[in-house]
Amino acid sequence: MVSDSITNVSIPSAPKSARDLGKKKRARSAKLKQCKLDVRREQWLSSGAVVKKECKEEQNGGVQGRRERNSPREMGPREGENVGSIHHHHHHDSDLDSNSPSSFTSSVLGGHDSETFTGSSSSSSSSGDCCSGNITEEDEDDGCLDDWEAVADALAADEKPKNQNPEPQREHEAIAKSVPASQIENSKPQCARAMPKAWRPDDAFRPQSLPNLAKQLSLPNSSGKRFGGGVAWGCNSVVSPPSSCPICYEDLDLTDTSFLPCLCGFRLCLFCHKRILEGDGRCPGCRKPYENEPVEAETSVHGGSLTFRLPRSCSMITRS
Amino acid sequence: MQASRARLFKEYKEVQREKVADPDIQLVCDDSNIFKWTALIKGPSETPFEGGIFQLAFAVPEQYPLQPPQVRFLTKIFHPNVHFKTGEICLDILKNAWSPAWTLQSVCRAIIALMAHPEPDSPLNCDSGNLLRAGDIKGYHSMARMYTRLAAMPKKG
Repeated sequence: MVSDSITNVSIPSAPKSARDLGKKKRARSAKLKQCKLDVRREQWLSSGAVVKKECKEEQNGGVQGRRERNSPREMGPREGENVGSIHHHHHHDSDLDSNSPSSFTSSVLGGHDSETFTGSSSSSSSSGDCCSGNITEEDEDDGCLDDWEAVADALAADEKPKNQNPEPQREHEAIAKSVPASQIENSKPQCARAMPKAWRPDDAFRPQSLPNLAKQLSLPNSSGKRFGGGVAWGCNSVVSPPSSCPICYEDLDLTDTSFLPCLCGFRLCLFCHKRILEGDGRCPGCRKPYENEPVEAETSVHGGSLTFRLPRSCSMITRS
Repeated sequence: MQASRARLFKEYKEVQREKVADPDIQLVCDDSNIFKWTALIKGPSETPFEGGIFQLAFAVPEQYPLQPPQVRFLTKIFHPNVHFKTGEICLDILKNAWSPAWTLQSVCRAIIALMAHPEPDSPLNCDSGNLLRAGDIKGYHSMARMYTRLAAMPKKG
């Protein structure tokens, strides 16, 4: 799984800048690694307990984690800190992954610092608090979306920046000193994955804590992907309307693509829609009468086609 | 009228492009009239029509795709929903369930599906429908098979 994810990530996320960064990061990661290894050792001692707890947390946190995953995708800010940090991890991870194996391991450790941290704390408390729950949950999901991410990166790269960049950049500037410049650059193309806000808090976090690596080694990569995939997916569904009208096969222009005449989601060009309204007025996709018939009918009546006036009025009557 | 012509032209190009994609359907436009098409479809496997090649004639109205194309079998076929003499096809999507989102190609697919799943309760061919409704599957199969051999299979030397 780890290797898979690495390859997946490396395809979309290996911009030239990433390679340059790799060196800087490696140095940095080496430091982190040291810290983490120390922490890790400690955790190993308590790992048995942690693992158990982890399982529990995953189940507990599943709901919350899901919620969080959605919220960042749509508007980010609410869960900003937690989610953001998670995103950042992912971003970071993927960069490192593409750069080098060594950096990858470090990134894994780094990425999960917060996790480890929470994990250890929760292990003592065993209450499975929200934070740890969320994070673990995400890790779990990552695995599923591995493939998504490769696709998602490519697709989301273009769309995401508009929505998500503004905030991230601000944060990035602040972060820039501590984080190699490359990351900022990466964030633009990869915004979908990056959701940069989270970075900062995590950075502070990072050095402190190591995750229970035993369990998470396989997870870290996937977590990054999962998020990216999820975001990208959302984008895709929004962006996916057909490029040509399925009725007349002409290309859809901007107005047409934003025109959604039926709840079933069947899209067509305005011209064909009007022609259909003049005819039987049923959506070609679901064969149900168009909801907005009355409105359309008014306008078309003004246009002056007598022939269709009758059916239109009929439908209006029946409806009311 | 222009719209239907444009659409048919696009479909024509689509058909050329996807010729390989659906080996069971060969859709050809009349050389001189884009509103006349013929199709050759292969009888679906595991039916009495297997191995037969059936010819369909499309007459596309000028209101197409708002109006469905008129399709009929040129090849004789023993099927409850196909008129034995005229080749007329009783298929909802060619009548009231038509949607402009359908294409000539998808109509062909629907007809192939109809061949595999006859609907004996709305028969155009009463003999065929009665056989099925009486549960005489064997009789239906042998009759359909015979006509497939007679009409839809290349004559062997």
